[in-house]
Amino acid sequence: MLYRVRHETRYDYEEPVSISHHILRLTPHGTDHTHIDISPRPPALASHTDYFGNTVTSFNLLEPHSRMVVVATSEVEVTPPAEPILAASPAWETVRDNVAFEACQYVFDSLRAGARPQFAEYALTSFTPRRPVLEAARDLTRRIFEDFRFDSKASEVSTPVETTFEKRRGVCQDFSHLQIACLRSLGLPARYVSGYLRTLPPPGKPRLAGADASHAWCSVWSPDTGWVDFDPTNNCIPSDSHITVAWGRDYGDVSPVYGVLLGGADHTLDVGVDVIPLDS
Amino acid sequence: MAFRADTRDAVLPGGVYQPAPGVWDEMSFASGVLRPHWQGFVSGLSDLGTEELGRRWKTARQRIHENGVTYNVYGDPLGMDRPWNLDAIPLLIPPDEWATIEAGVIQRATLLNQILADVYGPQQLLRSGVLPASLVFGNSSFWRPCHNLKVAGDTYLHMLAVDLTRSVDGQWWVLADRTQAPSGAGYALENRIVLAETFSDLFRESNVQRLASFFRAFRDQLIALAPSRRANPRVVLLTPGPLNETYFEHSYLARYLGFTLAQGADLTVRDARVFLKTLEGLKPVDVILRRVDDGFCDPIELRSDSFLGVAGLVEAVRAGNVAVANALGSGLVETPAIMPFLPGLSERLLGERLKLPSVATWWCGQPAALNYVRENLNYLVIKPSFRSSRMEPVFGGELSAAQRDLLINRIEQRPYDYTGQELVSLSAAPVWSENSLSPRRVVLRVFLAASGNSWVVMPGGLARVSPSIDTPVVSMQRGGGSKDTWVLSDRPVDNFSLQVSRDLPVPLNRGVNSDLPSRAVDFLFWLGRYSERCEHLARMLRCMLGRLTRDSATVGSSEWDSLLAFHGCLETLNSRLVSDDPQGRLELAPLDLAEDFGQELLSLIFEEQRHDSLHGNLNRASISAAQVRDRLSSDMLRVVSQLNGLARTDNESAWGYLPTGDAISVLNRCIGTLASLRGIELENITRGPGWHFLSLGRRIERSVLLVRLFRSIIVPITPHTWPMLEMLLDVADSAMTYRSRYFTHLQAAPVLDLLMNDELNPRSLAFQINDLSAHCRFLSNSQAGAEWPFAKQHRLEEAAAKLFDADVATLCQPGRRVQLDDLLAALDAALPAFSDALTNTYFSHAELERAT
Repeated sequence: MLYRVRHETRYDYEEPVSISHHILRLTPHGTDHTHIDISPRPPALASHTDYFGNTVTSFNLLEPHSRMVVVATSEVEVTPPAEPILAASPAWETVRDNVAFEACQYVFDSLRAGARPQFAEYALTSFTPRRPVLEAARDLTRRIFEDFRFDSKASEVSTPVETTFEKRRGVCQDFSHLQIACLRSLGLPARYVSGYLRTLPPPGKPRLAGADASHAWCSVWSPDTGWVDFDPTNNCIPSDSHITVAWGRDYGDVSPVYGVLLGGADHTLDVGVDVIPLDS
Repeated sequence: MAFRADTRDAVLPGGVYQPAPGVWDEMSFASGVLRPHWQGFVSGLSDLGTEELGRRWKTARQRIHENGVTYNVYGDPLGMDRPWNLDAIPLLIPPDEWATIEAGVIQRATLLNQILADVYGPQQLLRSGVLPASLVFGNSSFWRPCHNLKVAGDTYLHMLAVDLTRSVDGQWWVLADRTQAPSGAGYALENRIVLAETFSDLFRESNVQRLASFFRAFRDQLIALAPSRRANPRVVLLTPGPLNETYFEHSYLARYLGFTLAQGADLTVRDARVFLKTLEGLKPVDVILRRVDDGFCDPIELRSDSFLGVAGLVEAVRAGNVAVANALGSGLVETPAIMPFLPGLSERLLGERLKLPSVATWWCGQPAALNYVRENLNYLVIKPSFRSSRMEPVFGGELSAAQRDLLINRIEQRPYDYTGQELVSLSAAPVWSENSLSPRRVVLRVFLAASGNSWVVMPGGLARVSPSIDTPVVSMQRGGGSKDTWVLSDRPVDNFSLQVSRDLPVPLNRGVNSDLPSRAVDFLFWLGRYSERCEHLARMLRCMLGRLTRDSATVGSSEWDSLLAFHGCLETLNSRLVSDDPQGRLELAPLDLAEDFGQELLSLIFEEQRHDSLHGNLNRASISAAQVRDRLSSDMLRVVSQLNGLARTDNESAWGYLPTGDAISVLNRCIGTLASLRGIELENITRGPGWHFLSLGRRIERSVLLVRLFRSIIVPITPHTWPMLEMLLDVADSAMTYRSRYFTHLQAAPVLDLLMNDELNPRSLAFQINDLSAHCRFLSNSQAGAEWPFAKQHRLEEAAAKLFDADVATLCQPGRRVQLDDLLAALDAALPAFSDALTNTYFSHAELERAT
């Protein structure tokens, strides 16, 4: 599936910002065609690959400005992964006891997704003894989908995963952090995936510009298949409707636009995402 | 076992030394006989005698205090700027033993550096499992953004410190490695200077290896790191600032090595290059010697909650435009959990046996080690494996059964977060305390600097001693002391000193220190303003205290009401006066009112928490001075180090009972000290931009204070409050001049003429404005003058000119004082406006950056 993705981020500052430094993670995996347009225009853009393998773009703005707009436009081809045979994956205890080097760093706590006894307890309902790891992970995804309510007012970027667990509500970011924390509580490697989800307009209605949103899900490692994605918000295994931008231990490793400013006081933030399928 | 120094008549100072049983004593054998390498020193000490040693040491301690050598203790309200605790007796190490230590720590430095190079590079050690991957990935000191960063010559460690101790059998063991920003080398240097001065004769005779060549090698190494090929690369020492425990050392080393001391806010990254924000604009920085921990160095790519670093620093390193020493990420190998793996890593990476063993250590991330720790908890100290944990070390033997179970449970939950270490019985060394020698536990911190492809070891080090022989832990944070370390030589010693280099011709340079960070100038400016404010306050208070006890100052008299009105001029917001409390006034008898007023004056001097007190303002002056201490001469430092102690009584809480005479003495001393500060400023500072801003701060402050006094005394004056004129003359230190001109005819117009218009009176407003203009002229014509706020300066000068042009006699006529007040008001507004404009132009970009 070929998509064009347009991701616009706009900051309006209450007072002028005199100097700002930013880093962006807006280049999807599997594309060479991301165009990043920044206003005001920075003197230079630098780019490097981070420790997790994501493309990072950095720049600074040295002239006073009251608004910054970043538009990233990408064309990206999503090939659906072969559907994993969940029941054929190894027992989760085997995976726990033999974590491969490439997955090892995702076992440990990160700031936003750390192991807790209550998460282990919740997860163990799915992770019964010797159950295949992917089958158990799929079941955990379903349970989070069923036990938790999607509620965009229930959380913000910094909501701790313990709160999500207690209140039983949140958004995609919270559910992903929760599923990762559950897996890590059992000693299993799990990572956070940020990206976009193709949405379909209601039947008979046209697509609305900017109506799509950034999305997040999680990924579980199994020795035979490598990383397998699970989307607890939609209770599914992502196929060709999910476009991956970046992965890391949690949201902190992949936040799309991050900056440090001099001045600015308060700001308002507007984000608009369009995911347009190019194949008919 | 007790002993006397030797069989001849020499007696140890203080008499008998009692080594602790069952501990290796650095000075004496268990038999009580001196170890051979101590005999010369002890006999020299004996020749001095107890009394002379005591006398010399008293002088030495005085000098430590005057030099402002301090160590800040966190979480202790009295802990800021705690005087450095140095012991009179050095730790002596013989040449052969030093050679063993030297070889051991060099091997260790090489090894730790190679481990860093692998973990932040190809990660072969992790892939092959020689170093457990979880030791790195579970470690919050592994900074992923630092992976594959450019590091010249793969040298991650440019200075590192190794803490050593010895067990009962005399074997040296490594207790800890300090690899990211080790502290102590500067203190070791200062210790050496004090001891070499105090025992100059003994020091000369003892053939002690010198420290200077170590620092020369370190400086050369840092300069050579500069990525650019500029002739004079700029090296800055990045400090977290005066609140850091070892800030004294940062400013001391910056001065000694000739680098600019900078805080994060002094630096900025533009287009992946680091610059120092100076008064004259941005200056490129080539090398950063950092005393800021890894995670705090860059809020963009490292810890986003840090205000100590420089946004974009990692990107600048990645682009190869700046070198950071030690390399970012170096803190990784500080973890004690790595110690069990060092012997194997040494064999693998160096093909050598580990020469200097670490204290036996078990990392619970390994099942066998976890088992051992569980079984042997009583004999171990349990430490957090990684720095992020706030856990303090726990001594297994001190736990109750319940606490034990709880700890084991916690360890089993997250085994890799815990490390067990054998409790070592630290060796002991003699300290001079209460006029005798007694043993204390000792830990020796040894320093290494990278030099080309190898290492140089500082021949000496920072020895730290426990507060008592029974304390098993040595820590400066917990009230321990320090010692100089004398590494003895059997050859003549190298006499090189970094402070005087006689051989090299130095190119002549008239440029006044051009690397003046804007922030430093900001603090110089405020040092000027605060010290002026303090002097003003001290004079006001002295004047009131002196009059309060006069017979004529009875409640309701003209003198009394003038005092109250004069107190009102202080515009104090936190007045303790009952009379300022509308409900309280009528209930107090006259005697109580006077008492109440006296208490208010004492509170204005001594109460530290009061924003408007002398004590509070002295603290602010002192804090401003601390921020620029690397730029003050040692004479000036000696004076500013007295500032925050000036308004203190011997018994901190009892100031309310102080007799008036004593309070006046305190104020006299304060005025005297402030005057000597002013004297040093006038006579001993080069007339660079820093000095001009300092003086400008003083002139602006004194002008503001004078204008306000005129407005609140002269404008509303009535015959009843006439005594205020005399007080005004007193405060402006112009009573003598007035008397010589007008005898005792006290009138508003001549007073105002003397204090406002007389350009020859250095206390007059006219004098302040003239001098202010002169400083402005210099600064606006200098390289720093490109954005000088001329408009605000001119508005100020115009307001002043209008005031001085008006006829004083007319202005002072009772009906015309509204006009006087209008003229003063214009100046009263123009002065702060000019001060703000200076701040906006020169200092505001020093404000903190913040994350979104």
